[in-house]
Amino acid sequence: MAGLTRKKLQLPKSVLEMKFMKRTKERIEKELENIHGHEGLYSNIITNEMRTATGNYIPEASFIYCENLIDGRLSFKGMNPEIERLMELETAKEEESGEMQKDVSDEVLAKNMNKFKSRKRPSLTPSKYNVTAKKKK
Amino acid sequence: MKASVGDVVLPGDYCEEISAVGEKAKVIIGPGLQKEIDHVYVTKAGILKKRNPNTYWVDNYQKRYIPARGENVIGVVVQKAGDIFRVDVGSSITAALSYLSFEGATKKNKPDVQIGDVVYAKMLVASKDMEPELVCVDSHGKKGRMGVLSDGFVFKCSLNLIRKILNPNCPLLESLKNEWPFELAAGMNGRIWIKANTMRETIALGNAILGAEYLSDEEIKSMCTNIATILAGHVS
Repeated sequence: MAGLTRKKLQLPKSVLEMKFMKRTKERIEKELENIHGHEGLYSNIITNEMRTATGNYIPEASFIYCENLIDGRLSFKGMNPEIERLMELETAKEEESGEMQKDVSDEVLAKNMNKFKSRKRPSLTPSKYNVTAKKKK
Repeated sequence: MKASVGDVVLPGDYCEEISAVGEKAKVIIGPGLQKEIDHVYVTKAGILKKRNPNTYWVDNYQKRYIPARGENVIGVVVQKAGDIFRVDVGSSITAALSYLSFEGATKKNKPDVQIGDVVYAKMLVASKDMEPELVCVDSHGKKGRMGVLSDGFVFKCSLNLIRKILNPNCPLLESLKNEWPFELAAGMNGRIWIKANTMRETIALGNAILGAEYLSDEEIKSMCTNIATILAGHVS
């Protein structure tokens, strides 16, 4: 706290001494007093544990997050289409977050990429780099 | 007494395993556990459970609902008091449900909720020392799955049964969902609302849910096929 106030811009003493700055001077003095008074005021309440406590323990009052429970409002076989639509959206979202659906399987992709790489690619814009690469071969 | 994961624990027991993990990483301590200065203490009688990553809680038998933030509950409107409804959710005091916390509700356009209506709502505020507060909209102002439940049938059960049937691994709903059309709302406060096309189906559904409390997964499956065959009229 003291460090913070030190960083704050402070009016020079000579200015504060001026007559029209009387009220500001009083306010600043009061603020300083408050800051110093805090530690003494709460010293019997603030325990050592409070100073050293870590935020590693997260209390959770509900079983929902502990046991990973599903939403309790359900409908089956078209009893309530509105609810079923919401349920479908939720399952769709879950699947999406899992593995993306593939049009081309990994193996096919690997094979084709190999073919693609081995094939000599005619460069669209012949540049210095392409020419040098060919010369090396 | 010292306790470890999987043990039957009593209030006052402490778990050193949790404290050890808590030194290094974040730990979620669920219902029935409390962090004190020296240890993590158990405050309920039950089984100490763990789920990765670092989530601990006590699985206990309980019928009295204690409001917890974020839980969906089923309540009965018991009073209209100015701009709020008082809703009985089975906790020590009634919960408050503002009439503005419905989809599309404004000061002029009040939602049509009467005394005695059953509502499916989310706990927004659940503090130890304050009246719990419910809402019937999500953070986007949409009603989602919440709102007034019309028709149907409400019954009470233990809080454990609710958790059992809402567990993703529970076979009960999985085996019932293809048998006949039905709708269900399970509140974390130990109330279940069900709705089916006929009374026979509603009773069958209610019996299936209540019967599942002390059965294993395999037994639940066979019970469900049993009920389905009886309902279909193959066995009288």
